[in-house]
Amino acid sequence: MNVIIIGAGNLGSSLVRKLSDLGHRITVIEKNPKAVSMLPSGRIDSGAITVIHDDGSTGAAMLEAGIASANVFIAATGNDSLNGLAAQRAKTIFRVEKVMAIVSDEGARILYDSLGISTINKATLASDRLVSVLTEEA
Amino acid sequence: MYLVIVGGGKVGAPLASSLINEGHEVFVLDNDPDVVASLKRELGMIATIGEATSLRALQDAGASRAGAIIATTGSDADNLAACQLARTNFDVARTIAIAHSPENAELFDRSGVDLVVSATDLVLANLATALPGHPLIRLMPLADRSQELVAIKLPSAGTAVGHTLSELRLPYGTKIVLMITSAGLSKQPDSDAIIESEDEIIALSPANSTTELWELLTELR
Repeated sequence: MNVIIIGAGNLGSSLVRKLSDLGHRITVIEKNPKAVSMLPSGRIDSGAITVIHDDGSTGAAMLEAGIASANVFIAATGNDSLNGLAAQRAKTIFRVEKVMAIVSDEGARILYDSLGISTINKATLASDRLVSVLTEEA
Repeated sequence: MYLVIVGGGKVGAPLASSLINEGHEVFVLDNDPDVVASLKRELGMIATIGEATSLRALQDAGASRAGAIIATTGSDADNLAACQLARTNFDVARTIAIAHSPENAELFDRSGVDLVVSATDLVLANLATALPGHPLIRLMPLADRSQELVAIKLPSAGTAVGHTLSELRLPYGTKIVLMITSAGLSKQPDSDAIIESEDEIIALSPANSTTELWELLTELR
């Protein structure tokens, strides 16, 4: 599958690595040139991962990333509303089949879910995991 | 009406002040304590510190009884999120937002924001009116951008000059709203009104035929 990910922070980079391991074609859009140091450089050299330095919420950056042929779009910057805006552009303007957004606020998760965007709240996910580990130990 | 303004900066602060003067009840939400302090000093207890996209902050600002929310922060993403959160969580009847980038203005429209103010379009329209010999100015988008109010200046050597309005083959759906002479006088756009050199024509035009209208009115002899 062709996957576009915006944001190559801790979460974005780890997502890129795992999806690339599964054999998907990944294009990452990241504003900060330093942030891409966390990406596997071998895969970038071989062309399995493409990196674009730009604001990934803009239509121009999405077009450069080949959004017309993307199967999945994942907004994974650290900013909830930027992820929400980018995901809505990918969905309503570019009609990408599967659009996902990572958020850290529950209000944002409910909102974007209601708009047909698959939303993951990284904060509640982590706390749920911690609680389940503690419950198993007890 | 009770109005919540999100963002008390260069746009939000003067907007709050003018809406209060018009008799509205206004409350401003801003994440900068200095901005909130200065609003309180100048306008009274009408501002609170909070993030534009925090449900708690929107609730504290009284979103649940607001007739409208106006998002004026510097971030398009926050403006869209604030409007959508206010609509879905507090049932705010009318959502208004500034879009700084033109492509976001279109996205806001399609994402359910009731009134989108495109900052770039406003600046361009104002700059264009200030320039001599401006040919076409898009004054305001209407009806979900399917129509627009435009101003077209007729060249003195234009083919339309000397004809009446009824003699022009206007694109389907176009309505001439007003004509303004080069001396600044307004003329009723009756069917027998004669088009004169350097008249400015204000028209309501379907967005997809504005170019055709412009070509018709500015065609040279």
